[in-house]
Amino acid sequence: MITSFVLKALDRNIVWVTALLLVIAALVPALNLMTAPDHPLHIPTYIVSLFGKYLTYALLALALDLVWGFCGILSLGHAAFFALGGYAMGMYLMRQIGARGSYGNPLLPDFMVFLNWKELPLFWHGFDMFWFAALMAVLVPGLLAFVFGWFAFRSRVNGVYLSIITQAMTFALLLAFFRNDMGFGGNNGLTDFKDILGYSIQSNGTRSALFAASAIALALSLVITSGIVRSKYGKVLIGVRDAESRTRFLGYRVEHMKLFAFTVSAMMAGVAGALYVPQVGIINPGEFEPANSIEVVIWTAVGGRGTLIGPIVGAILVNGGKSIFTAAFPEFWLFALGGLFVLVTLFLPKGIVGTARQVIERRRDYHKARQAEAARALAAEPQAAE
Amino acid sequence: MNTLASNAKPTSILYLDGVSVSFDGFKALNSLSFVIEPGELRAIIGPNGAGKTTMMDIITGKTRPDEGEVFFKGAVDLTQKDEAEIAQLGIGRKFQKPTVFESHTVWDNLELALNRKRGVFSTLFYRLTAEDKARIEEILSTVRLTNRKDDYAANLSHGQKQWLEIGMLLAQEPELLLVDEPVAGMTDAETTETALLLKEIAKTRSVVVVEHDMGFIRDLGVKVTCLAEGSVLAEGSIDFVSADPKVIENYLGR
Amino acid sequence: MHARLIHRFLQCLLVAFCVMVTMLATDLRAADDLRAMVNALGGGNFQQSQKQVEALAKTGDPKIVPALEALSEGDLYQRKTDGTVFIVKPAGSNFMLIDALTGDTAGEEAKAALEKIKVNNGLRRTIRAALGGLTLMSPETGVRLQAANTILRTPSADALDGLDTVLAAETDGAVRAVLEKARAASVLVSDLPVDEKKAAVATVVETGGRDSLSLLSSALATADESLRPDIEAGIKQIEDRQALWAAGQNIWYGLSLGSVLLLAAIGLAITFGVMGIINMAHGEMVMLGAYTTFVVQQIIRTSFPGLFDWSLAIALPLAFIVTGVVGLAIERGIIRFLYGRPLETLLATWGVSLILQQAVRSIFGPTNQEVGNPSWMSGAFDLGGMTITWNRMWIIVFSLAVFAFLLFLLKKTPMGLQMRAVTQNRRMASSMGIKTPWVDALTFALGSGIAGIAGVALSQIDNVSPNLGQGYIIDSFIVVVFGGVGNLWGTLVGAFTLGILNKFLEPYAGAVLGKILVLVLIILFIQKRPRGLFALKGRAVEA
Repeated sequence: MITSFVLKALDRNIVWVTALLLVIAALVPALNLMTAPDHPLHIPTYIVSLFGKYLTYALLALALDLVWGFCGILSLGHAAFFALGGYAMGMYLMRQIGARGSYGNPLLPDFMVFLNWKELPLFWHGFDMFWFAALMAVLVPGLLAFVFGWFAFRSRVNGVYLSIITQAMTFALLLAFFRNDMGFGGNNGLTDFKDILGYSIQSNGTRSALFAASAIALALSLVITSGIVRSKYGKVLIGVRDAESRTRFLGYRVEHMKLFAFTVSAMMAGVAGALYVPQVGIINPGEFEPANSIEVVIWTAVGGRGTLIGPIVGAILVNGGKSIFTAAFPEFWLFALGGLFVLVTLFLPKGIVGTARQVIERRRDYHKARQAEAARALAAEPQAAE
Repeated sequence: MNTLASNAKPTSILYLDGVSVSFDGFKALNSLSFVIEPGELRAIIGPNGAGKTTMMDIITGKTRPDEGEVFFKGAVDLTQKDEAEIAQLGIGRKFQKPTVFESHTVWDNLELALNRKRGVFSTLFYRLTAEDKARIEEILSTVRLTNRKDDYAANLSHGQKQWLEIGMLLAQEPELLLVDEPVAGMTDAETTETALLLKEIAKTRSVVVVEHDMGFIRDLGVKVTCLAEGSVLAEGSIDFVSADPKVIENYLGR
Repeated sequence: MHARLIHRFLQCLLVAFCVMVTMLATDLRAADDLRAMVNALGGGNFQQSQKQVEALAKTGDPKIVPALEALSEGDLYQRKTDGTVFIVKPAGSNFMLIDALTGDTAGEEAKAALEKIKVNNGLRRTIRAALGGLTLMSPETGVRLQAANTILRTPSADALDGLDTVLAAETDGAVRAVLEKARAASVLVSDLPVDEKKAAVATVVETGGRDSLSLLSSALATADESLRPDIEAGIKQIEDRQALWAAGQNIWYGLSLGSVLLLAAIGLAITFGVMGIINMAHGEMVMLGAYTTFVVQQIIRTSFPGLFDWSLAIALPLAFIVTGVVGLAIERGIIRFLYGRPLETLLATWGVSLILQQAVRSIFGPTNQEVGNPSWMSGAFDLGGMTITWNRMWIIVFSLAVFAFLLFLLKKTPMGLQMRAVTQNRRMASSMGIKTPWVDALTFALGSGIAGIAGVALSQIDNVSPNLGQGYIIDSFIVVVFGGVGNLWGTLVGAFTLGILNKFLEPYAGAVLGKILVLVLIILFIQKRPRGLFALKGRAVEA
């Protein structure tokens, strides 16, 4: 059952991209750790971390593609799932600081001591264990998506209405996490992390390992997502996107279909967030900004929605561009990003990968038609001669 | 309100009694009642706004009636179920505008329509069996689309899309089939073929056809129900109904 | 026996003499100027000073007010050499002397040559009461009112006689009200019979207010049993009334917030509600309107300062034109290619919003701009127990006016008719000769223009910065969706419902939590009624 699922997932493009991801998961850390800093092939640690961050963004965009590209649900709240995963990991990293915080309290994180809290809130228990935090990074976003989606899809909130309430959801979370008494560090969020699984978070080795983990998580998610969309379930999902009522009248429970995709997608976003936080060293409520969620949408759109590989390409390209742009002309980044939104929707609705695929298919069809014509002409010739 | 003998209820395949529904004060259905027997092919005619599509919406669970009873096979209360449940019970519906999955191939359209388990996980790990394959091939030949099975549905002609949709309904194996204007926009030849196809289908199940095309209805040669302003105006053979002065005034207008 | 008689006689004589002396002294005092009495303030202990102050107060002469005030402030000093009392002001290492009665300067003196007249809180209280009595006679209403309030704060049984006299003469209503309350307060601390006190309680309850509450609670502590129920009932009555006013004030705040929401959302009700376009740059239109106001005010400040009170009236049409033109450009340049693809429109207009924000940031800078209130927009007035600010008041009026204008435009004008025709059936409208692309463009421009004039109003109560619009966009969408898309009345009801709901949740949940609660409620509401409060039903909508 599982093997057929995986086999179906692996079409040629997916195999290539998965392999590429696994190769860089091994190669980049190797070049960072095993070459001398002056070696021409050496990859500096900051680059490793930067691209590690891009890979987590790519995972987030891939998660969005599952719901937007294949099910037509334009979520404007995916950054919320990402941030929740990030907070779960951040809580683990906070607990790892232990007595090394500036107040030296072995149990309470600094911000709690600062707020004069006497004991650890209930929901902070268990986060001293990595496995628990990792589980929560997946379960909490999944649960939120499940509950939210259960309400939304059951009452058939669709299209832009759904987009707007997902945006309201992330906005509500933004406001909530800004509050000090929520117990997540308020405005400042969680930061000053020291180590993860006993390894210093600053060391080259940890950074490389985090990069590798991000690449592997992305590769794995790509295979899983591909399996999902190529299964019969995936076809139903596309059916829901294109003709929801037809799917209903064929006897499919559209709300269950959407709910599954939405929940899986939120969990993937949670994983991305959990990998993101140790690499950037901070998580704060700003991650819940509605603007962030919309930016994820543009990564996906640039790469090409409904293509799985497109969002990965888009996330890396746009964020790479952002890094270069904000360093060179900080004033113009928003112009560039805004322009990107407009141009992509107007002139590149299928995105880079989608358009490339279209071009290739057209050329193939053209060649096929040419060959068929030639064959017909050949067959017709003797008749004409008679 | 009870305009029907309730003894018709247990033996019928579809039973509507006193069904009313209104939208913002406009009465789309006004105490509508009729009965479809098992294996029956029934044509429903009526002017625009007579409530034909609303009636289908109610039978398939898209719209809830304000009052009245809707029973399937005499025992199942359809007003308490939603579209998916009703479809799984065995009621298929063809829309006025052909509605197929345009970004799927003809084959995939039929595969999705097959009457198999429709849960998330059963579809996620579904494998095409030899039996299912044979069934799809069979339907493909019934609706004359065998040579287009690998084409995207978007690339089919209008008539072919209509047929594909009918094929999908066959794959669904319904006991009752609701067909909304199947020949709208079809050529005469296609229309005649469609009438044959529906008569063929009606041999094994009940079919309700909503249509404007009187020629097509004559081709079908079945009992006709004429609706107007949300209730039944006349019922009987096509000749009986088209001779009814009320029908002439309301619908035929000739 | 004889000796005894003589003794009696002598006693009588002594008494008579004493009486004579006292009378003489009184006469002398009346005849003499106040200076001696003022001078007598010095030297004694607190009790003596207190007696002197009371004596001074009895004269009723307003000339002693500065001296008493100075005493209370600790600025009254006595010259050691001759015992004269002065008001002093520090002048370098010396004191500048001011005549205690005339207010003339009287030279300087070394600090060591003067002795401060000591004052404690008991004395200060006496002084305050005395001053109250004195200033009650002032010809100026303001001074009298202040004096009456002073007595009200320090009620004492001694003040009663004075109050009665003053009350008899007082004609100003406001002063009378305070005086009566002060009298009632004084009755409560006196040892007058219970009946009078009951009447006093009634008077205090009648006037209400926070001070009445504290008055009654302190009276409750010392009141005897028979009076207690009255006071307790009074306190409850006042509290109930205050709760009522607080609710009223809350409703007012809610209406105010609602009017802001309405202003922000009403343009959206057109572009989203009527045309079905998701314009994420809507907030930026509001922002552009606010910046237009800023620019207009800048020009007025530098060139035509006299016109400042007209700045908003001038900014309104300009903002409408500026944002309308920007809206027109967006529709012609981008949106018209995206009809029927609402999600793409959302993304493209989001891009436009980023560009507009950055453009404004590049031109005007990222900081808040100063937009002033014209005089008729500043200040506040009291309505019963509520305070109402003029700017909020006018914004409510303005939002309703904009709403009425829009309603009129849509329902009663040919342009509105065309707009509705195009929304309901584009093809039919087009075949009837309506230029649908033109109507689309104008409708979008109208929605944007309305957002612009909303910006003029919002510039009066919000920070004018490039981020102004972002704060409104989610709220506006929520209002339109909550009210029901395609229904202006829904937007009106939605805006005010949300505004009031928000303000009623705030006291219990705090501002942020209140907002979160509202968002959660809305999310739940949309689940229940996906098409909003005033939803259109039927087949047409579902298609």
